[in-house]
Amino acid sequence: MNNKNQLGFYLDSGACIGCKACIIACKDKNDLPVNINWRRVIEYCGGSWNSEKGNFVPSGVYVYYLSVSCQHCESPPCLEACPSSAISKGDDGIVHIDQEKCIHDQSCLYACPYDAPQFGSDTARMSKCDMCADLRAIDKNPACVDACPLRALSWGKMDELREKYGNITAIDPLPDGSITSPSMILTPHRHTRLLSNGKGHVTDLPEKAPTEINGIGPNIIKQLK
Amino acid sequence: MKNATTSRRNFFKTAGMLAAGITVLPSNSIKGALLPYKISPVVKRHVRSVEGKWVPVVCWHDCGGRCALKALVVNNKILRVKSDDTHMDTPDYPQQRACLRGRSQRMQVCGPDRLKYPMRRKSWAPGGGDKSLRGKDEWVRISWDEALDIVVNELKRIKEEYGNESIFSPGGEIKRTLNLFGGCVDSWSNDSLGSWMGSGKQIGLYAKKPNNGFDWVGCIGDRMDMRNCQLVVMWGVNPAWSSPGSPTYNFLQVKKAGAKFIFIDPFYSSSAAILADDWYPVRPGTDHAMILGIMHTLLNEDNPVNNPLIDWDFLNRCTVGFDKYHMPEGADPSENFKDYLLGKNDGQPKDAEWAAEICGIPAARIKILAREIANTKKVALLTSWAPARVNNSDSWPQAFMTLGCMTGHIGESGRMTGTSIHIATGNGGPPLVYAGNTGLEEIPNQVGGGSNYTRGRPEEKLSIPGNQIWSAILTGEYTAGKDRNRKVDIRLMYLGGVTNMLGSREGQKKGFEAIKKPDFIVCHAHFLNTTAQYSDVVLPVTTQWERDGLLQDDGNREVIFLGSKAIEPLFESRDDMWIAKEIGARLGLDTRLIESATQAQQLYNSASGAMVIKDDGKGYEPLLTITEEDIKNIGVVGSPQKGRITFKELREKGVYQVPRSPNDNFRHIPLEDFRKDPVKNPLTTRSGKLEIHCSDLAEFVAAFGWSVIKPIPEYVQPIEGYEASFSDWKTKTKSKYPLQFYSVHYLRRAGSTYDNVSWLREAWPQEFFINPLDAEVRGINHGDTIKATSRHGTVIRRAHITSRIRPGVTSMGAGAWSELDEKLGVDNAGSSNMLAGDITTGQGTSGWNSCLLEVEKYGKELIPDHKWPARILFKNEIHE
Repeated sequence: MNNKNQLGFYLDSGACIGCKACIIACKDKNDLPVNINWRRVIEYCGGSWNSEKGNFVPSGVYVYYLSVSCQHCESPPCLEACPSSAISKGDDGIVHIDQEKCIHDQSCLYACPYDAPQFGSDTARMSKCDMCADLRAIDKNPACVDACPLRALSWGKMDELREKYGNITAIDPLPDGSITSPSMILTPHRHTRLLSNGKGHVTDLPEKAPTEINGIGPNIIKQLK
Repeated sequence: MKNATTSRRNFFKTAGMLAAGITVLPSNSIKGALLPYKISPVVKRHVRSVEGKWVPVVCWHDCGGRCALKALVVNNKILRVKSDDTHMDTPDYPQQRACLRGRSQRMQVCGPDRLKYPMRRKSWAPGGGDKSLRGKDEWVRISWDEALDIVVNELKRIKEEYGNESIFSPGGEIKRTLNLFGGCVDSWSNDSLGSWMGSGKQIGLYAKKPNNGFDWVGCIGDRMDMRNCQLVVMWGVNPAWSSPGSPTYNFLQVKKAGAKFIFIDPFYSSSAAILADDWYPVRPGTDHAMILGIMHTLLNEDNPVNNPLIDWDFLNRCTVGFDKYHMPEGADPSENFKDYLLGKNDGQPKDAEWAAEICGIPAARIKILAREIANTKKVALLTSWAPARVNNSDSWPQAFMTLGCMTGHIGESGRMTGTSIHIATGNGGPPLVYAGNTGLEEIPNQVGGGSNYTRGRPEEKLSIPGNQIWSAILTGEYTAGKDRNRKVDIRLMYLGGVTNMLGSREGQKKGFEAIKKPDFIVCHAHFLNTTAQYSDVVLPVTTQWERDGLLQDDGNREVIFLGSKAIEPLFESRDDMWIAKEIGARLGLDTRLIESATQAQQLYNSASGAMVIKDDGKGYEPLLTITEEDIKNIGVVGSPQKGRITFKELREKGVYQVPRSPNDNFRHIPLEDFRKDPVKNPLTTRSGKLEIHCSDLAEFVAAFGWSVIKPIPEYVQPIEGYEASFSDWKTKTKSKYPLQFYSVHYLRRAGSTYDNVSWLREAWPQEFFINPLDAEVRGINHGDTIKATSRHGTVIRRAHITSRIRPGVTSMGAGAWSELDEKLGVDNAGSSNMLAGDITTGQGTSGWNSCLLEVEKYGKELIPDHKWPARILFKNEIHE
């Protein structure tokens, strides 16, 4: 089971400011349009406010961020779910989607607890992070790693990452690491256990489909051909 | 296991991860769009890392950061970008890594909405045409000849009929032409620095102008000395959002070195997320009341023997005005700060209890903070300009300085008091490397002009305060000093320099009205931003990636950049200088004066004059070795020189960074000599000391003609501040606009730049922040569409409900490109300037952070910004 060559990411959640430079670097490097995000940043937030002598005082307010991509799991549920056997795991443990075999039925997306596979209607293919295989092939770091202004992201062989950073693979609100054995090591944010205690919320603004657009939305001026 | 996965997954989804649902065609893959490459997410990505040429380019926006950027260019197309890989990355010598905006810059420069051709609005006619159609008219593509003729004819006509006094232009290369043409009305504004603009200098808390840098960069210590701090107080400082690039990483090193961080901010910021040990959620615009409560506590509890909290030695030697025994010459002894704190004259001690009611921090907490600041030996008291972007905040900088004086956290290693902001965020001091003068000679403006620092003094020249621009156009009058109004009749607006004035000034609703009044409006633009949208003629200009660069030293003190031209100008865009010269020639002016130094000459001048600090930290030496061949390549006459690195190396790398280590000679400890011997090393203030009583400041402020302050830092209620949110303060009855609002730097944009980039729109949705308690009583849920209304305007946005913002306070990023619904009078894009009023106080400060509003649920859903169609004109034209 344990692949000595398994590669993985490392994230120091204690240093992540949620700026999303990693997302943009990933989009730039991989030419990804909007709505396809091989890397995502989760904002996890909690705490409340108490009334005290007419004033409001915060009680345990915190926020931390988790930058996640494909976790290149040791037991990838996407691989099992794919009806066309388009998904495979390489010698280095990186999970690949074979574009030729993909029939874009989105089974992998529904199987993945991390939302890693992304569906693009214009390409009619599933796609996801391959840890910048092309850059690694020329001894460069994945784009997201080199982009991080806080140096919170890293990558390497999982054995080495574990030795260096421990073996935490999940903190709130990520799924329990035992489910898929994700190849990511985390240094938890200082508030992870102290304050969050499972009571926080993912607070990124949800994207809703518009149901009514009258008077709302862009008022683009008329234009000539 | 399957169930566990599913349920976890469902939580994940409903909680708000981006759903990977049906993808709307991204705006940047529309057929025939400008983007010179096709977005193909999967198929071709593996070729990206190996082919093409990496060209060093600049990231030129006014964000306060400067980062290294390179563009991968193949056949005049930019395939991707990368950031600093010119040296190994260490905390002492960090790479200058670009933020998300720099990294998305190819989507901006080559965006599908880049303007392609000169154009005029369809209903325009000489003299104006139907001006009410500005902003909603159709656009007609015209030739450069026609465009330039229109501009020149209108300039001539307006000058002839009304004189140069009716031509307005705030900046850009075209100003050189207009100045030669007889001059134009100018504008000045006090928007970034807030009350620090004039106050810092008057009271002595600023650095002497170092080399060619700004004079405010030196009032805090450098990043290495900051590592000696035991406590860092971040008063309104959020570098994670307002100074992306290296600053937050530098602060992280300060934390790793053992400092405790305290944040004083209405929002638990992203900087606080990784740095904060403690948080004081002060109400916007009440910082001054809070700091008085801190200082009163110190005064009340100080006992030089048993409980020394105040550095009396520093106060007595280095300041004037704290008590009646240390007053400046000629001042009324009863007007001292100590008596004000104690309430001797007005009967109201400014104690922690008094402060608590205003600022929202319980008195006990204020006292704890006061003791902690005073009892910690090495403290950095840092503030941004944000708490000073408040109406009536002119005494706030002085109050902030006074806390530093009382605690003595000034002028020693690890002890500093001042502004941590813009290029000097967490890293103060004179530049370690800087560029030479370009040699472009100034052309005097006979009609308008004057720098910010001369404001308030009687001006013969016409220069409109930024927050009176729109009222000046509408009423024909503006304030030009105390008891002095001036008439002005703006007939022509020439908005060069890629300004987005209509989106960037407070009182924007009035702006939409005013913009329909002048006879003629022309602008230079890359995109159809708010200002371009409402112009008559729009001239498409090149970005910095389509021009040869100059040495650029407006980043942090350790770096200098040289960007190169990456691609040829897109479509028919032209350089601003080309336009300035073409218009000049048509006006019969001497174009050699307009471009008094060629681009090549300017490059040579900025390179040959570039200096770098010597290793011993004493003096500078030439940065660049320039050979005969370099000079030939640049195409100028000059002489070779020896320097630290070759011009060729700077050309190739695009960046030079002074290596630093903890024990190097480049430390900056401001006011060190002054503290040791204030008599021998006097400041530039009247007394030569830090002035807690400063008549010059009071006179300076009064001369502007809007409001008056005392020579000592007394608290003045802001117009539209917290107190004004009540109709009855005593009974705490709320008014019609019960919530406070302030605008922040937001990672989607730098100012209003980048707002059109779809990647950034997706990452940062321009949400409206509101506390759960305020949302609940209004029936607002997370993600709901809301309508926010102030006295000045209305915006529609989606609510981001978060405990990170204190109850009673709301916030939004500044700089969104308006989508005005004229019928409903609302802005669907959420421009914060629709909410902020054009209120004038003190030194003309833009009081963006003092604003009141009410929020209600709005029954319709708002399409996420990144799904809005890009403002693409002439989309069927295909880029050759």
